[in-house]
Amino acid sequence: MDLVFIFEWLDTSLLAEFSKSSSGIFALVQTVHIASMVVLGGMIMLGDLRMMNMVLTKVPSAIIIENTKKWIYLALVFIILSGIYEASAIAMKLAHNSFFFAKMAGLAMGIAFILSIRSAVYARAPGAAAQQEAGSGTQQQPETVSPMVVKLVAFTSLLIWFSVASAGRWIGFS
Amino acid sequence: MLNELLFKFASWLDTFQSSTDLHESLYMYAWVETTHVLTLMLFLGMLLVIDLRLLGVAFKEVPASTIVERLDKPMMLGFIIMVISGLLLYYAIPVRSTQSIWFRIKVILLISAGINALLIRNMTRSSDMSWDNDPVPPKRIRVGAALSISLWLCVIGVGRSMAYDWWDCKKELPYFMYWAAGCVEEMAAFVE
Repeated sequence: MDLVFIFEWLDTSLLAEFSKSSSGIFALVQTVHIASMVVLGGMIMLGDLRMMNMVLTKVPSAIIIENTKKWIYLALVFIILSGIYEASAIAMKLAHNSFFFAKMAGLAMGIAFILSIRSAVYARAPGAAAQQEAGSGTQQQPETVSPMVVKLVAFTSLLIWFSVASAGRWIGFS
Repeated sequence: MLNELLFKFASWLDTFQSSTDLHESLYMYAWVETTHVLTLMLFLGMLLVIDLRLLGVAFKEVPASTIVERLDKPMMLGFIIMVISGLLLYYAIPVRSTQSIWFRIKVILLISAGINALLIRNMTRSSDMSWDNDPVPPKRIRVGAALSISLWLCVIGVGRSMAYDWWDCKKELPYFMYWAAGCVEEMAAFVE
């Protein structure tokens, strides 16, 4: 499917007119984009490394995952908003940039992964499931997944987000 | 005096063939820069978690000392690779970097952030850590953490601005800006 029309529309939008007019504001938005990426990356890494039993092993994983959640969502909102602003300034260049499409595919995959597999598996990780059961006060045996699956999910998550960040950097080189 | 010295040093680095090769390589420079960004994510990401805990806005259930001690290793690993890749990026473009006002501000901010980190470390070590389990640490610790986040945010912004040529030496600038950026040749021409 040819998506060029989206870029053409963005290129002629009011937002593009504004973003192209000031390199100072553009640099500021880029800073917000990178800072949000640091927040997202930091929180994702902390959660994933914890699930791989590499950091904070004495702290219950459920506490780590719960604390990182809102920061991940907040960072994603800022990343997407600042990203749209950045893209509007160079829309036609991005329309033919394969790294941009790789980044978008990775971003979509990363978000879908967080909302589905990652959160479902982490909630059923051996330690997390036991803690949830204790918290809810139910006697029902929690459904757990194998530690190997948890680690595999954590590794996949790291791989996806590192790929997204790398592809983003390579947009500028292509 | 210092400007001349720095310029001579950068010009000397620039004479190395490996510096030119790195700058002009098809993929290597891009990979070094990618590594710099990815390790920035690791280093600053871990530091952010520590600072947010010291600010008392996240991970309140976890003792502050646990977060600080356990995240120290991955944070320092990211820091070391980030510094090495940063030095390589400087080595690839030594003269322009030395004569970039943004690069100079970045170095000052990095030193300030380093001093701030040492002060926070000393403050936590010298205290009896009676606040370790408190959701919100004492005010002096929170001020240090807020300063840390602010300084690193500025480092990101200034680092990003290095890509722009707003105040490059080749531009017509006031004498002060030539001095601040270390544009020694332009300073000499200005006096003449």
